[in-house]
Amino acid sequence: MTAKVTVKDLHKAYGDNEVLKGINLEVQENEVVVMIGPSGSGKSTFLRTLNKLEDPTSGEILINGYNLVDKKTDINKVRENVGMVFQHFNLFPHLSVLENVILAPVELGKMSKEDAKALGMQLLTQVGLAEKADAKPTQLSGGQKQRVAIARALAMKPSIMLFDEPTSALDPEMVGDVLQVMRDLAEDGMTMIVVTHEMGFAKQVADRVVFFADGYIREQGTPEEVFNNPQDPRAQDFLNKVLNV
Amino acid sequence: MMKKHTWLKASWLMVTMLLGLIVFNTTTAHADTKEPHYVITTDTTFAPFEFQGQNGKYVGIDMDMLSAIAKKEHFTYKLVPIAFNSGAQGVLSGQFDAIIAGMTITPERQQVYDFGTPYYKTGIIAAVSPKSGITDLNQLRGKTVALKTGTGSAQYAVSIQKKYGFKVTYFNDSNTMYNAVALGNAAAAFEDDPVMKYAIKNGVKLKIITQPANGGEYGFAVKKGQNKELLAKFNAGYAAIKKDGTYDKIVAKYLGSNEAKFSGDAKENNSIIGLLKQNKNQFISGMIKTLQLTIFGIVFATIFGVLIGVLAVVPNKFAHGFSSTVIYIFRGLPLLVLAFFIYIGLPSLTGTKIPAIAAGLITLTLNEGAYIAAFVAGGLKHVDAGQMEAARSLGLPYWKAMRKVIMPQGIKLMIPSFVNQFIITLKDTSILSAIGIIELTQTGTVIISRNMQGFRVWFIVAMMYLIIITLLTFLAKWADKKFASK
Repeated sequence: MTAKVTVKDLHKAYGDNEVLKGINLEVQENEVVVMIGPSGSGKSTFLRTLNKLEDPTSGEILINGYNLVDKKTDINKVRENVGMVFQHFNLFPHLSVLENVILAPVELGKMSKEDAKALGMQLLTQVGLAEKADAKPTQLSGGQKQRVAIARALAMKPSIMLFDEPTSALDPEMVGDVLQVMRDLAEDGMTMIVVTHEMGFAKQVADRVVFFADGYIREQGTPEEVFNNPQDPRAQDFLNKVLNV
Repeated sequence: MMKKHTWLKASWLMVTMLLGLIVFNTTTAHADTKEPHYVITTDTTFAPFEFQGQNGKYVGIDMDMLSAIAKKEHFTYKLVPIAFNSGAQGVLSGQFDAIIAGMTITPERQQVYDFGTPYYKTGIIAAVSPKSGITDLNQLRGKTVALKTGTGSAQYAVSIQKKYGFKVTYFNDSNTMYNAVALGNAAAAFEDDPVMKYAIKNGVKLKIITQPANGGEYGFAVKKGQNKELLAKFNAGYAAIKKDGTYDKIVAKYLGSNEAKFSGDAKENNSIIGLLKQNKNQFISGMIKTLQLTIFGIVFATIFGVLIGVLAVVPNKFAHGFSSTVIYIFRGLPLLVLAFFIYIGLPSLTGTKIPAIAAGLITLTLNEGAYIAAFVAGGLKHVDAGQMEAARSLGLPYWKAMRKVIMPQGIKLMIPSFVNQFIITLKDTSILSAIGIIELTQTGTVIISRNMQGFRVWFIVAMMYLIIITLLTFLAKWADKKFASK
């Protein structure tokens, strides 16, 4: 079995400030990897290099066999297969909910508008928002917006989904619905890489938990290994703080 | 506290000095409390009658004569050189006591001015570019002839226009008119004999093709019924310098002259309705020209502006630099300077002439376009960066993301600025009268220069602008509603 994602010795610096200091990671098909760690540890930056929203300074990234560092690689083709969900949703405010979902497949000629609408309604049903299809994003709550954003990413039928702190901007009572949608996705076998502070979600859903600190991966393993018996002192300290509030 | 005070003092000093400089520059004789003091206007360029000498002081036949008369008659004056047409109107509005500017005495003008003793007889001649091969007025058929707004020469040229079948265009000063002919934008120019000869003697590349014809007499003028004392002093002084040979010396200093005869024109009905009726065709064609300039100007400026504005946000340093340089230059240049540069400067550099209307449209495109580019760039930058990231992460290529996601949001923010810019563009077209485009403002100028009915004609012109602006604003609101509901 070949890995969906292979990262080798990845570095990323903004001027003199190196935020990723040599990351190595492989993610297998159907695997759910949850990345945790303190703020500024580099986990979000790392996630954004996986669809080239950030350009790596050096190292190697293979996504579905495409080499992202190679300038000849058509990044748009890679991105079609990698869905991304952002902390602040980034829904397109000038379009309706359904239009948000079907924009990319229609504009990229993946399917007819009719087919896209049918798929869009199916995805909105899946995230529990079919009745909001004609609403504008501004009429939705944060949790609803994020579920639409997930449906929008899924409309391109990606084989990998990236989640960048998807619940961090939500009111606490909204978090559950979004996590449930993500849990369903995981159960359906989606390959997922999730940056989050939701330790409960990590424990329940992750196949593997990766702990970031200071631009390095300090520790990784099954949720049981990482949460119950962390080896790295930074990980011990971090988990001690977040789990024993 | 101390520092602030010094600053204030320094800036106050600067302002006073600047003001002093301006006043001093325009004064040829100093005020003396015992002698009467007048404010007299003249044209900015009408050599050899008035023009700036090497030290910036105004010299010429009119100037030397006025100075000699003032000395003889014991009065002082402040000289204010401005465009002839504005000066002539300024006398009527009371801004100036008198005008001496190679002003031809006509029956129309005598209705509103009192003229002194005619002091110079002149004829009108036509000149062409030596390169044109034109030797005869008959060869001007179908061609455009350059005239100076409000002059007797222009009136004469118009009176023979039908006979020779040429078109006319107007300029506000002799120099621009000469350039238009020298550069080939106009086939010929009509001007007073001594003025044209002096210009040619001083390096203007034109060739005279006619004998002096249909001339007139120049007169010193005050507003009808006003400044009688000044007029009497002028006449007495003129008689004295004519007698003692000063006058001949002055004229000989600047040229040797010919003389010609003169005939005038009929009166005009000067009520607003009458003015509208009389000049209906001129007003309509001026309005059409203004609308053409505005609409084409807006379309081209919008295309240019959006293009340059988008270049300011694409992820490319060269594009950013290019965009901000273009905005910096064309937003920074006054529209009038840009128009002159394109119309007169560019042909001198490249050797290819540009029709005035094309030069005007290019000017509008660059200048209004730069403003549009600035707010397009601003509007696009105002769209949250996450929007582009989200669109790109779905696999949309950059330009598709720009068009489908960023632009629609940005344009919504820009609509008020667009409406504003359209109105500004309409008003800015009036500046293009300076390069001889007879749009609405220039139409007004030309009519006024003939009938001197400044207030009424400008009232008509102002109303016409307001009507166009009202229509454009309605159109913009309608478009905005249509766009917003989408």
